[in-house]
Amino acid sequence: MFDYTEKIREIARRLLQEKKVDGIIGFKKGTIPMMNQPVFITSPDRVELLHWDSWCGVNLANYLPKREGRIGIVAKGCDTRSIVVLSQENQVQRDQLYIIGVPCRGMLDRRKVWEVVGSADVKGIEEGNGKVRVWGNGFDLKLERSELLQNNCVICVHRNPVVFDELVADEVEEQSVDRYEDIRNIEAMSSDEKWNLFQEIFSRCIRCYACRNACPFCYCPQCFVDESRPQWVGKTIDRTDTLTFHLLRAFHMAGRCTDCGACERACPVGIPVRLLTKKLEKDVKELYGYEAGVQLDERPPLDTYKPDDPEDFIK
Amino acid sequence: MAEWEPKILAFLCNWCSYGAADLAGVSRLKQPPNIRIIRIPCSGRMNPKFILQALRKGADGVWVSGCHPGDCHYIEGNYYARRKFALFKNLLEYVGIEPERLHFSWISSAEATKFAAVAKDVVESVKKVGPSSRLIKREAEVE
Amino acid sequence: MKRLVLTKDELTAWVRRMTEGVKVFAPVAVGDYDEFRLVDSDQADLIRWSYQNTRLSPKGLFHPQAERMFKFSTSKEDPEWNILKEVPKDFSPRVIVGMRPCDAAALKIMDVNFDTPEYKDPWWVRRRKATTIVGLACTSPSSTCFCTSVNSGPFDTKGLDVLLVPLGGGRFLLEVVSERGEELCQQFGPGGKEADSEAIATYEELKKKAEAALVPIGDLSPFKERDMLEFFNSPIWDEVQFACINCGVCTYLCPTCWCFDIQDEVYESEGCRLRLWDSCMFPLFTLHGSGHNPRAEKLQRVRQRFMHKLKYYVDKYGQGVACVGCGRCVQFCPVNIDIREVIRLMLVQCECAV
Repeated sequence: MFDYTEKIREIARRLLQEKKVDGIIGFKKGTIPMMNQPVFITSPDRVELLHWDSWCGVNLANYLPKREGRIGIVAKGCDTRSIVVLSQENQVQRDQLYIIGVPCRGMLDRRKVWEVVGSADVKGIEEGNGKVRVWGNGFDLKLERSELLQNNCVICVHRNPVVFDELVADEVEEQSVDRYEDIRNIEAMSSDEKWNLFQEIFSRCIRCYACRNACPFCYCPQCFVDESRPQWVGKTIDRTDTLTFHLLRAFHMAGRCTDCGACERACPVGIPVRLLTKKLEKDVKELYGYEAGVQLDERPPLDTYKPDDPEDFIK
Repeated sequence: MAEWEPKILAFLCNWCSYGAADLAGVSRLKQPPNIRIIRIPCSGRMNPKFILQALRKGADGVWVSGCHPGDCHYIEGNYYARRKFALFKNLLEYVGIEPERLHFSWISSAEATKFAAVAKDVVESVKKVGPSSRLIKREAEVE
Repeated sequence: MKRLVLTKDELTAWVRRMTEGVKVFAPVAVGDYDEFRLVDSDQADLIRWSYQNTRLSPKGLFHPQAERMFKFSTSKEDPEWNILKEVPKDFSPRVIVGMRPCDAAALKIMDVNFDTPEYKDPWWVRRRKATTIVGLACTSPSSTCFCTSVNSGPFDTKGLDVLLVPLGGGRFLLEVVSERGEELCQQFGPGGKEADSEAIATYEELKKKAEAALVPIGDLSPFKERDMLEFFNSPIWDEVQFACINCGVCTYLCPTCWCFDIQDEVYESEGCRLRLWDSCMFPLFTLHGSGHNPRAEKLQRVRQRFMHKLKYYVDKYGQGVACVGCGRCVQFCPVNIDIREVIRLMLVQCECAV
């Protein structure tokens, strides 16, 4: 995966020199281990800043809505699916983009590293041959890469870009996994158990809206959270308000979420917010046979209907 | 002590279920008095926020009713609504709102008897799970 | 200055004695991170004496994320209809144990906003007055820490009443820093024995070592010397702002961000006026009633956060920057906007311009 960096730079340099794009959205190496920063490169002299490793979990499609001009964008499988959704929703035009597709073996989750090393202060990390070496004060460990994957990457079924203009490497093998085991477990609970579970999960929320803002699909000019007449949801950390926020946020993702995991990754207190979006994803798939962000010319599931859609819940 | 009576908020489409409610009343059909009606222009106008707001303000049950598929005054509003309802109902149940509190129906303006029957059914169903205790917005728990 | 050496058991016993007389807040593990919580005598064992720092800063103990200020009735039958009545709060004496020196220094920074000769925030002032702070020195600062570069340090006693220093081997050095700390030790005898020269030598050595472990981020005096507009109009903001997603992580985790919003909530005929944290990252923060928003663009909001901390605060209060180098924003910004890097860019850019 590390040779991707050189290839990304090479493509970026060519695109900028040939003036095929006005700028490239990619990553630059982070200032701390296990983090990288989204960056916009507009000049060929600066392409050396571009970087790729296993810590590029931010969904770069988040930087596309309302952006004008011709844009090059480095995109993993999930990011390209988000681009598909954004173009279905007219937030960006496909022909405005030059998609530098990155076949992806999954991004890593620093929380899993912290959990193993028992400290949030990792001084360095490097990777090779499916192993990750991580060191800091009083530890130097070798870990299995597969055990550090972001939860959404573990169950990813679109590791390869679904749309692209160029790939940085050969496609990787797709996984065939059961995506919904955790969801089914929750569905099987009683109402009381479910209620208690989600009360507990969301009790940590500090309403920083990182989950909302990390999402490429949260581009509304005014979020329902900020509406005041009427006010749909209170702004404190009251549990009812917090749950209301998360329910509506998740519902707005119905049929759109590509499970890129950006929301969960951004959460400063580690709330598994994907439990809600994944439930919706599962239902959309089961009820309407739709998978978000795979076909450019399809309409999103809540923007269309079939006369014989299931309706056994309606009297 | 008098038996507890649920408060149920019904969102009824102007072109059908609202008319059915009217007709049920004019026809003197017996129906439970627990329903408070809000008229909406089409079931497609229903926003999930309305359902949440109803629960937050203490409704024990929510009932949304629109025109039968194919009969929408605006041709297809109820078809879109159907997808939204299915997903939202499942989501609310998934976080622990009792399924007995949420109801959806298709009732045309001629179906006064169906309206009365569904009303009865909705009330009975909500009564089974008792007063709502979840997602009610009370004084903010903040400290 | 009184210095004692306590074993960990003595320290725990001391805290336990405190819990029987006053409310004690201390860092405990909550899931996979640490948080300040009210601890009772049974929980004194759970205090995390070796924690790095809490995920959220302890500012919430003085300036809660959301607090009720007033209650009111909207019922016209109520003779006190529409009259705001202060919500009673608990201002009984309390002790915060185990606060890191940076977070304590942050309270001093916030004092200039909430406790001034002209304006005193009644709740902040009373909470401050009711609180004794027992700090815990940082013997192994995190790689994201930079307290020594921003007028603080791993053993800084600026905002503390008592400082605890883990000497290793289950021993702690207790240093009484203020009168209030002295009173606390009189009220609840810490036990232990007088620190000998060896313990003091270890203390000095640990201090030196901890300070040396912190990477300096450079001289910040140009923030005071250079013109505000030079920073404000700098071209760096375009680059700095690109990655920002305008969430509230940096401001909510920050120990010195004090901005708040006031909201009324009404529940049938009762209501309350709440104060809650707000963030300059949110567009609503500056939205006017007219619909005009002076900081409608992301760039303006990002610039505001850094300019406030590094320039406006410096100019207004003359006490250096409003940052204590705790590194929370560095570590938890979802897109890796690193204030150390922003500082570097601000200073470099301005040097070039001159």
